[in-house]
Amino acid sequence: MADVLIIMTMGLPWLGALAVWLTGDRRPQVQHRLAVGFALAAALAALLLIGSTSSAVELRIAVGGAFGDFTFVPDGLGVFLAAVATVVGGLAVIFSVDYMHGEAQLGRYYTLVLLFIGAMAGLALSGSLLLLFIFWEITALCSYALISFYNDDPKAVAGGIKALIITQVGGVGMLAGALVAYVYLGDYQISTLLSRHQELPSGVLAVLAFGFLAAAAAKSAQVPFHTWLPGAMEAPTPVSALIHAATMVNAGVYLLARFYPVFEGVSGWTTAVVVVGVVSALLAALMALFATDLKAALAYSTISQLGYMVYAVGVGAVFASQFHLLSHAVFKALLFLSAGAVIHAVGTRDMRQMGGLGRQMPFNRAVFIVGALALAGLPVLNGFWSKELILEHGLHDGPAWAYGGMLAGAGLTALYTFRMVWLVFFGKSRRRDHVHDAGLMMRVATGALAVGTATTWLLVGAFGDLLEDSLPFHSLHVEPAGALLEEIVTAPATLVALLVVALGLLAWWFRDRLAWIGEAVPQVGQAAAADFGFNWLNRQIVDGTARTAEALRTTQTGYLNWNVLGIVAGFVVVLVVLAVG
Amino acid sequence: MSALNWVTLGVLGLLGAGLYGLLITRNLIKVVIALQILVKGALLALVAAGQASGQINLGQSLAVTVIVADTVVAVVGLALAVQVKRLVGTLDVKALSNLRG
Repeated sequence: MADVLIIMTMGLPWLGALAVWLTGDRRPQVQHRLAVGFALAAALAALLLIGSTSSAVELRIAVGGAFGDFTFVPDGLGVFLAAVATVVGGLAVIFSVDYMHGEAQLGRYYTLVLLFIGAMAGLALSGSLLLLFIFWEITALCSYALISFYNDDPKAVAGGIKALIITQVGGVGMLAGALVAYVYLGDYQISTLLSRHQELPSGVLAVLAFGFLAAAAAKSAQVPFHTWLPGAMEAPTPVSALIHAATMVNAGVYLLARFYPVFEGVSGWTTAVVVVGVVSALLAALMALFATDLKAALAYSTISQLGYMVYAVGVGAVFASQFHLLSHAVFKALLFLSAGAVIHAVGTRDMRQMGGLGRQMPFNRAVFIVGALALAGLPVLNGFWSKELILEHGLHDGPAWAYGGMLAGAGLTALYTFRMVWLVFFGKSRRRDHVHDAGLMMRVATGALAVGTATTWLLVGAFGDLLEDSLPFHSLHVEPAGALLEEIVTAPATLVALLVVALGLLAWWFRDRLAWIGEAVPQVGQAAAADFGFNWLNRQIVDGTARTAEALRTTQTGYLNWNVLGIVAGFVVVLVVLAVG
Repeated sequence: MSALNWVTLGVLGLLGAGLYGLLITRNLIKVVIALQILVKGALLALVAAGQASGQINLGQSLAVTVIVADTVVAVVGLALAVQVKRLVGTLDVKALSNLRG
């Protein structure tokens, strides 16, 4: 039963991609229906798969030879991420029916989106490192193609290429890790690595650990690899919601959580993870505070929230990180989709040109505020519970400076969230023309996500059992739901965090009186607007690589005789090595 | 000197002559000829290695396969030479550096 569901979860989106492609762009109505149908069927299969969670290999495809078997393991982490990817993906596809209405080349759009959803489900369920890498790269390619979807816009093309290159750099780290594991263990299976990692020499394990950390940081847009995510906002908004908030960026956190038992003993690894998380959370929150592009602000807040998850893994709170991943996937998809409805209505992403839209888009304002409250971490929405859980674990098990940083990040989050809501929906209207509220399909998708934002925290007990029962190597001990929730509510960490969040709110309320801070230290604002120099750093690395490649051109003479000389020289070197070694 | 040593000497001689030819010539026809000499050396080496290791069948069947592939190389190489002469007007390989990096 489980094997059929695994095949359906991965295969239905891919089948749908093929069907939409073959339908052709002359019948957009059929394309819309096919895409929604297949995406929802996959989501249903993924939800049913939760019922047959197990830590055993349920589907094995023998490919023979050096590659080992391609296996699929529907354990708690895997089915959970597959369900998030397919359900949020399904809602994004529903939203697209309105958002992409009348756009050209719908076939390309839906095909890539469905291909992406299937690959993401495969990535989550894969039980083999090699297969994990393959799905990892398929998601990167789909993300590249979707960011550059409007391929006559040079900014979109540049953003796509940037995302592809940066995630590839991380992908190399992952491939290196997989190959090292294969060389020492003779097997690509993830379960082998989890159970026999003691056999690896410590130096090799360190290479593996930091290679995977680089891969995760690049995929999850963590410092210093985060610069691709704001550029990725050139994509159609449902894609931003799907790939750059709810699913693909989570793959990095998933990777860290999946291999946490292997790497926790590597000296310096957990500290490095905590540093990456804290720095990302704080810097991105500052950048979100100064962003003027609505989607860029949301992108920076995604980096910041992913920083919280990475930090949680670093302090050993794997369950808390996955719980926040669930909350974040739901409320950030909600924020992105309702922001998409705004952008669709007003035709710009610049928040300075919005304002006072709440009266004209009451439904959209309501759902956006639900998402914003969850992002700011206010009770009783899902973001509150998961963020408090992370902060509580951080206070118990993590270093104090990191906890302080994350606490400050929570305050900043509240501040930039309310700035965003205010600029878009309240205040004086800065436009004359009338705008329409979101369409029916947009309301269906955002409404469902708003309900999810208010309720997914109720699943904490079931989710804890799911992870605890099917992850034999993580030795998780999740308390029952009642005790866990009570603990969160009564913990002093919660009060402190709420106080900081309230401070963030007050700071926005009294922003006029606090303006002197911004005027006193204008460097902070300028540095945040300039991405703290990371884009400059990127540019330097790219230019350096290009210059090296230019310099290497001289070795390509194009003359046959020189090439033969090179071959002979290489031959001699091989002979000498063989003779000496 | 045993027979095998003579054959080895022959292999080295053919390989050396072929590589030398490839290094110094700029005429496309001569390049094909030099390649042929080189491959003949490799053929001889295959047969000799089969004899030396006691797997003469393997060595000879590999050699026959190489003869087939090698013929194709010669045919395609000469056909290319004809086309190059037609299009560029010369057989000098130095004229064929359009794709230089």
